[in-house]
Amino acid sequence: MSITRRNLIVTGAAATAALAAPRIARAQALPRNVRLVIGSSSTGGDTYQNSAIVADALSEHLGINMRVDAVGASEAFRALGRDSRGTTLMMFHDQSYLQQLYGVEGSEDPFAAYTVGQTVAINPGNAYLVAKSSPYQTMEDVLAAAANGERIRVAIQPGGVSEIGFSAMVNAAKVRAPGSEANIVAVNTGDQADKNQAMWDGLADVINGSIQANEQFTQLPDDDQRAMRFVWITARPETLQQAPAEGMGNTTRDDLLRYASPQTSVTLDGSQDFTFDKEFFFLYNSEMDTAIIDQVDAALTEIYAAGAIQERQLGSFFIPNFLNFADAQAHLTAKRDTYAEVIAEIS
Amino acid sequence: MFEFITPLFCLLIVAGTFAGIVFGAIPGLTATMAVAVCLPLTYPLGLENGLALLLGLYVGGISGGLVPAILLGIPGTPSSITTTFDGFPMATAGEGEKALRIGIVSSLVGGLVSLAILFLFAPTLADFAIEFSYVEKFLIIFFALTVMAALSKDLLLGIFSGMLGIFISLIGQYDINNGGNGHIRLVPDGWDYYLDTGFSLLPVLIGLFGLTAILEQAEIGVPKGHSREDLKVGSESTFSFGIFRNQIGNLMRSSCIGTFVGILPGVGGSAASLLAYSNAKSFSRHPETFGKGEPAGIVASEAGNNGLTGGALVPLLSLGIPGDSTTAILIGAFTLQGIQVGPLFIGNNPDTWSAMIVAMLIANIAMFLLMYLAIRHLALVVTVPKHILFPVILMMCVVGAYTINYGIIFDVWTLLIFGLFGWLAVKLRLEVAPFIIGFILGPSAEIYFVKSLESFGDVSIFFTKSWIACVLWLLIIASLAGSLYFSRRAKSETAGE
Amino acid sequence: MGSLTQVTIDFDTSHLVFPIIIGTVLGLLGLAILIRDRASIAAAPGYWRHIWQEMDKVRFFGTIVLTLAYFGAMVPVGNIWPNTGMGFLICSVPYVFAVGVLYLHDRRPRNLWPIALLAVIAPPLSWWLFSYVFFLALP
Repeated sequence: MSITRRNLIVTGAAATAALAAPRIARAQALPRNVRLVIGSSSTGGDTYQNSAIVADALSEHLGINMRVDAVGASEAFRALGRDSRGTTLMMFHDQSYLQQLYGVEGSEDPFAAYTVGQTVAINPGNAYLVAKSSPYQTMEDVLAAAANGERIRVAIQPGGVSEIGFSAMVNAAKVRAPGSEANIVAVNTGDQADKNQAMWDGLADVINGSIQANEQFTQLPDDDQRAMRFVWITARPETLQQAPAEGMGNTTRDDLLRYASPQTSVTLDGSQDFTFDKEFFFLYNSEMDTAIIDQVDAALTEIYAAGAIQERQLGSFFIPNFLNFADAQAHLTAKRDTYAEVIAEIS
Repeated sequence: MFEFITPLFCLLIVAGTFAGIVFGAIPGLTATMAVAVCLPLTYPLGLENGLALLLGLYVGGISGGLVPAILLGIPGTPSSITTTFDGFPMATAGEGEKALRIGIVSSLVGGLVSLAILFLFAPTLADFAIEFSYVEKFLIIFFALTVMAALSKDLLLGIFSGMLGIFISLIGQYDINNGGNGHIRLVPDGWDYYLDTGFSLLPVLIGLFGLTAILEQAEIGVPKGHSREDLKVGSESTFSFGIFRNQIGNLMRSSCIGTFVGILPGVGGSAASLLAYSNAKSFSRHPETFGKGEPAGIVASEAGNNGLTGGALVPLLSLGIPGDSTTAILIGAFTLQGIQVGPLFIGNNPDTWSAMIVAMLIANIAMFLLMYLAIRHLALVVTVPKHILFPVILMMCVVGAYTINYGIIFDVWTLLIFGLFGWLAVKLRLEVAPFIIGFILGPSAEIYFVKSLESFGDVSIFFTKSWIACVLWLLIIASLAGSLYFSRRAKSETAGE
Repeated sequence: MGSLTQVTIDFDTSHLVFPIIIGTVLGLLGLAILIRDRASIAAAPGYWRHIWQEMDKVRFFGTIVLTLAYFGAMVPVGNIWPNTGMGFLICSVPYVFAVGVLYLHDRRPRNLWPIALLAVIAPPLSWWLFSYVFFLALP
């Protein structure tokens, strides 16, 4: 954890890494100094936080130095592509392949160009909201209105995690009432502040948001112009079930579950519901020695078996979700294929 | 009520403020980075103590930027650019110490005024801030851009330089995170590997101010530096608080402008000191002295950028939306402790709220004392021989450029590119100050302008959106008319001489 | 106001709107400068010849060449010991020394000592501070 790393610095600044004895004497494939680049340039965001938790745990467990560098997606992929020695690893989430599926300029298929690795956690927060005074109270209202020919404007940040739920809405409208998908239109905005502002300015009927950032707005009195209401949480119900029972703020886990499948249904194909979990996973250079992947597999298995990391993740509202390399690859490939179909279906 | 005030709490604020000043004072290292670097430390400290450290870093980091701005002419942080305009001329005239004192006192006032506004009016102001849509934000940016005209020595060349700055800032991706479509433009073939996200601000800034200045010195053979005797510490430049007697209006206005700009999410820190500076210039009875070592310029710039500190916390604490890049990282500190920020924050966490106010208060006082006591030692920087000082500055510029985006080597090359560009620009009589202002404000101007038209589909929206838009237009027209008037008056005066 | 003021911006091409506007304004301003300052622009060759003659060429181009070498060497050197900041440390020592000597006027050995001392103290100090205490990336 971060305490150890800092303690090391404070108490033994002189004992540089070169001198420090490794704490675990085992075949060490991972280099001593590892740079974990992330696909976000924010050090206050969820990708950084989640990566820091994992990097601290791995550093302590393996006796190495692992530093998280928030260089942003394009630079992170470039840095990973340059380094096949395993001194640069990457952690990112579903955005890594979604941006390619959405055709964002300059993005590559990470499954082909890199090696997709272990998943470590889920941020279950991805949500859609309406203004409290909105005529649409539920997702059902939204889709019914679209079927009736009303235009529904949805504020998203295009080309990734924020857009996938919108695509699912369009797809569901198409499944329910073919032709009505044209009534659900995107309002392309930027970060959360922009999306909220789009609602307050009357430019959007539905906005993409998150449980963490928007829950307090749902607690405001009805006459407050800033008040919002959840209509849909995209996470799988089994993911939300693992969240702390007290939920977030004044919204309990049971309250949150009301907005997620199956209680709130956005259909995928008429029988199944569409769900989306924002998962964080490792990415490796495709030419890197696979012994490193095995070592990370072994280390994470032990770390997750010990159990401390889960507490820390839950404390920051992340759902622990370790899948070893083989399972993660199968899971993420299947996940990507599902979303590729949805996106192909509506475009 | 105040049981969070422990010796540790106070110690952390002072330590944070000190470290923040150091970060701010090194060209290329910013308050944002100081807070980011220390964020992991706050996990074991707990919320109140963690915030004490981070707020100290924030206040210190914003203030520390004035030191290199005044003494070396290199803004330590983007928000201290306007401090260089008058601070550096004062330092070269041997009044570095006086300029520092003025800057520090103004920083303190700016910080305290904005803190008082934060404490008294946070929720009300947040309600007002959400009245600002893309249209009003564009007009604020446009208003800040009119400063280019006020800062130009030659109106035509100055505005051309500013436009060039905007143009260069548009290179690369139309940023998807701010609402763009992610397409890359203005990048020559084969360069998208380096330029897909454009040039980053900080390397451009320290290249233009730091490297350019050193190249200019090298060009004239690095004449021997100041000797200690040059530093006027005698009676003629003594600082007294009397300087501020005529500056009370300026101080209060600038502090309020800084606070207000801080409240608007996305408008950004550099706009605060720019607006304060241009405002001070238009209100001044002798605007022609600005840019040549006018104390009122330092007062406006520093009161403005420290005013930002309290302002940027308003949307953070009452909407859960950061007011600038540093407060964006503060959100991380809250989530690390499992605390939500949003419209209910102040009501749900009264203790944390008062701890933050007290921490900001102590941090401002600590900043003042630490810097005020250090002034005599700081001012000696200009006595260091250039062959010792310059290599160290060059090395620190590299550290700053490389670490600002957590390790991108192209940022180091950017430093050199813009160092050379700056040298060439001066030779071509282009003006660096409007250029950098255009470069800083260009991306926000683009987003808000294009998004206004995209959302409303009508150019007239800029005039008809709200009464706020109308007020902003009046300010813009007044600012432009003022610049034109002064430019003509200055011309006729030089012609009459 | 009617249709005169109406504009439709297609999101997919919206990245070009602002560059075109600014580019046009820039072009017009450039043209205005060309016309207004045609006399001094015509005199440019003489102006540059003067700059060239007055220039301290060794120090000016020396700075550029040293800086190019410094920036260029940092990454390859750093790659030998990845993620340790060694590239920065190893390249900064000679660079600081060389620039210091370049800017020195009186290059007697007595005056070289302070620069040598600076070159062995300043880079390791900042390397230690940034990579160990602040845990930041250096090349």
